[in-house]
Amino acid sequence: MKHHVLALCSALALMTPTLGVAQDRYVHANNSAYDTLDPHTVRDVARVASRLNFYDGLYRWVDNPPQLIPWLATDHSVSEDGLTWTFNLRDDVTFHDGTKMTAEDVVYSFERMLELKRGAGSLFLPMIDPGQTVAVDDTTVAFTLKEPSAIFAALVPDILVVNSTLVKENEVDGDWGQAYMIDHVAGSGSYMLQRYDPARGFIGERFADHFAGWGEKYFDEIEFRTVLETNTRIQGLMRGDYQGLDGYLAPDQVERLRADEDVQIMEEESMRVFHIAMHNGRAPLDDKNFRMAMVHAFDYDGYINEIMQGTVARNPTIMPGNLWGAPDVPGYDYDLEKAQEYLDAYKAEHGDDIRTIKIGTLAGFSETEQAAALMQNGLSQLGIEVEIESSPWPVISSAMQNPDTMPDMVPYWKSTYYVDPNNWVGELYASRYAPTRNVSDYHNDAVDEKLEQALIITDQDARAQLYADATTQIYEDAAGIWIYNTKWFGPYASNVKNVRFCPVGNGQDMRWAYLEE
Amino acid sequence: MRRLEIILSRLVWFIPTLFGLVFVVFFISNVIPTDPARIIAGENATEVQVQALRAEMGLDQPLHVQFGRYVADLATGDLGKSLYTQRAISEDLLHRLPATLELTMAAMVLAIGLGVPLGVISAVKRNSMIDQTLRVLSVSGLAVASFWLAMELQMYFSTKLGWTPLNGRIAGWGPEEITGFYLLDSLLTGDWASFWDTLHHMLLPAITLALPAAATLVRFTRAGVLEVINSNFVLYERAMGFPTTLITWKYVLRNALISTVTQIGLIFGSLFAGAVVVEAVFDWPGLGTYAVQSILQSDTKAILGFSIIVGVVFIGVNLLVDIIHTFIDPRTLK
Repeated sequence: MKHHVLALCSALALMTPTLGVAQDRYVHANNSAYDTLDPHTVRDVARVASRLNFYDGLYRWVDNPPQLIPWLATDHSVSEDGLTWTFNLRDDVTFHDGTKMTAEDVVYSFERMLELKRGAGSLFLPMIDPGQTVAVDDTTVAFTLKEPSAIFAALVPDILVVNSTLVKENEVDGDWGQAYMIDHVAGSGSYMLQRYDPARGFIGERFADHFAGWGEKYFDEIEFRTVLETNTRIQGLMRGDYQGLDGYLAPDQVERLRADEDVQIMEEESMRVFHIAMHNGRAPLDDKNFRMAMVHAFDYDGYINEIMQGTVARNPTIMPGNLWGAPDVPGYDYDLEKAQEYLDAYKAEHGDDIRTIKIGTLAGFSETEQAAALMQNGLSQLGIEVEIESSPWPVISSAMQNPDTMPDMVPYWKSTYYVDPNNWVGELYASRYAPTRNVSDYHNDAVDEKLEQALIITDQDARAQLYADATTQIYEDAAGIWIYNTKWFGPYASNVKNVRFCPVGNGQDMRWAYLEE
Repeated sequence: MRRLEIILSRLVWFIPTLFGLVFVVFFISNVIPTDPARIIAGENATEVQVQALRAEMGLDQPLHVQFGRYVADLATGDLGKSLYTQRAISEDLLHRLPATLELTMAAMVLAIGLGVPLGVISAVKRNSMIDQTLRVLSVSGLAVASFWLAMELQMYFSTKLGWTPLNGRIAGWGPEEITGFYLLDSLLTGDWASFWDTLHHMLLPAITLALPAAATLVRFTRAGVLEVINSNFVLYERAMGFPTTLITWKYVLRNALISTVTQIGLIFGSLFAGAVVVEAVFDWPGLGTYAVQSILQSDTKAILGFSIIVGVVFIGVNLLVDIIHTFIDPRTLK
C-alpha cells in the first residue's frame, strides 16, 4: 500500500535550489496576537503564520483545491490492519542551528504534542496513545494507531517537527521546553526567527539552507505584525506600510481596497462554510417540522446579495461545495409560506405555545450579528420571538460545547483545519464528536454508521459516497441552516506576486511569494 | 515628620484598598461564563481531556478556594499564567508597562502644557470671546469619543497629509532596550534617530489621549484661578503694584493649582486606563492592547492582572498627589 503518488508530487512542489540574490521584505498585518511561538500548544487559524513559516510538517497542504504534498517525509505505507503508519523521511533536512533532522525528532515532537494535550495534540489523542510512535531508523518513523483511521494522512501536516536536542536542552522540570518554546523557534522551516515581541509580532529571516530550496525570487525577510483595528490595517496597506493583510474582510472593506491602484485583491473560493448551528436536542428544535420551518425562514438571497454584496457562493449543506463528497442538493429556499406550513404541522402536534428562540452571535463579527437579525426578521413574520445575545468567541464557544448552555442557534464559520469531509460533516454531526465539536446535539444512528465507516476505509470513492449520503440525510433532517462558502479576498500590495493560497493557512505560507521590482 | 505621618497613613490604606480591588475584580471576572480549561484545550479536545485539564488547573475547586489560592500567589508577586499564551502574566504586563507609561506621561505633559495655561487665560479673560471659545472647546473635548478622534486624526494627518506615522511605537523594533521607555533608552544610547522617530509615532496617540484631559484641566484651572483671583492677598499684591503677570502666574496659579493637582492625579489614572482604546487604534504595544486581547479571549487571569496593575498605578499616583499637596499647600501639614 505504498503511496508513491505523494512522492511524485514532490517533484512538482519542490523547486530547484538556487543561489539567488537579496530580495525585499514583506510585512503582514493581522488582527490576532502572535503571543506564542510554540507550534504544539495552539492550532488556530489566526496564528498559523508562525507555524507555517518556522516549522515543517511531515506533509504539507498547498494550493487550492488543496493538494497534500510530501514535505519532511517522502512517502508512507500503511500496514494490512490499517493500524501502523510508516513514514520515510528525507535525509537532507537540517534545523536552523544546523542539526540534522532524524526520526527521533519526529518521535519527540509527536510525544510532546500528546503530552501537552493542546493544539493539534488534542486531535491526535483519541487516535494514538503516548509511546506508540517509534523511530525505526534515522529516516523511518512508525505510528501505531488505536484503530484504523482514514483521516490520519490528512492530519499529518499538523505533525510539526521540532529540534529535539535543542528543546531538551531547554526543558525545565519536565515541562517539555514549554517556557522556552513560547518565544524561541526550534524548527527547520523556511524562515528563521530574527526578532520576536509578543506585543508586536515577529520577524523571520530566510533560511537559505532549507531542504526544499528556493526559487529565483523570494522574500529575504518576513514580518507578521499584530494590528488590532481593521481600519488601521486597511489604511496601512493603502499607505504602503504593509504588503498584505488577513483575507476575510467585510465586503465594504474589500471594495475600499479595490479602489486603490496600489492594492490588489486576490480572489479564491475557500472552504469556510458559514452556517447557523441549531440545537437539535432541545424543544422545539428537536422537532423536524420546526427545524424545517427554520430553514425556510432565512432569507438566503437577501443575505448573500445584499449583506455580503454577492461576494460569496451559496452552499446548500455543511460540506463545502468544492470538496469531494459534497452531495448535489438544491439548498433550502426562503419561503415563509412553506415555513408556516411546517410550523402549523408542529403546532398541530405540540400546541400553539412557542417559547422565545435565543440566538448567540460572535461579538465583533458583524456577519453573525446580521445573520441573526435576518433570522429574527423571518421568524417574527411567523410570530416567533427571537432574542439575540452577542458574546466574544471564547464565551460563546464555551457555551456551545455544553448542551445545557448552547443557545438555540449560533451563526458561525467552520474553517479548514484539514481537507477531509470529516472536518465539516463528521466533526459537526457525528455523535463521537458531541458535545465539543458536534455542538448541535444531532444524533442519527444511520448517519453515525456512515460517518464511522468513512473514518476507517481508505478508498476515496467509497468514502465520498458515504459522506454524500450522510450529508444528504443531515440536510433532509434540516439539522442546521447552511448559508454560504466563503470567498477569500486576499488584500496585497500590487507588486506582491505568487501568493499560493490554500484554505489551510489562508495564503500565509510565504516561501513561494516575492516582490516584483 | 508630619509629612511622613501622612505618607504612612496613606500607605496603610494601600493594602486593604488593593485587597478590595482584587476581591471585586476576581469575582466579577469569574462571572464571565467561560471555561478556561476548554479554551486552553482547544476546540479539538474531548470532554474527558477538558475535565482532566480543569482538575489540573484547580478549576474544579470552589470559587473561594480559587480566590484564596490566587491571593496567596499574588502575595508572592505571582499573577498566574495567561490562559491563552501560557506565559507569566507579570512578565507580559511588565514587558508592556513602559510603553503605556511612556504614552500616558507624554499625554499628561501635553494635557498639562495645554490645559493649565489655557485655564489661566480663560479665567483672566473671563467672559471674553477667548473665554467663551475655550469653554466651548473644553466641553467639546470632554464629549468627543477617543476612538473617533483617533481615527479622524489618522485619516487626516497620516493618510491624507502623510505627516505622521499611521500606527505603532516606532518604525522598526526600537532602540537598544535598557528601561523599555524608548525615549529614555534612545537618549541613554545616543540613538537620536530612534528618539525622533519615537516622538513622531507618539504624537497622534498622545494628542488623542491628551485632549479630553486638557479640557478637564482647563475647566478646573479656570475655576481655581477665578476663586483665588478675587481673594484679599491678590488685592493686596495689586495695591502694592506687583505686575499682573507675576501675580497671575506665580501667586494666583500656585494657590489655584491645589484642586488642579488633585485632578491631575485622577486624570493620570483615567489616562492610564483609557489607553485601552487609543492603543488598540494606534497599534501601540502596551497594556491597553494586552487588555483588549485578553478581554476578547476571555483570558480572565490576564484581565485580572491588568486591573490590578491599573489599580496599583492609580493608588500610587494618588499617594504621590497627596505628597505633592503637602509641598504646594503647607497648610495640609498642620
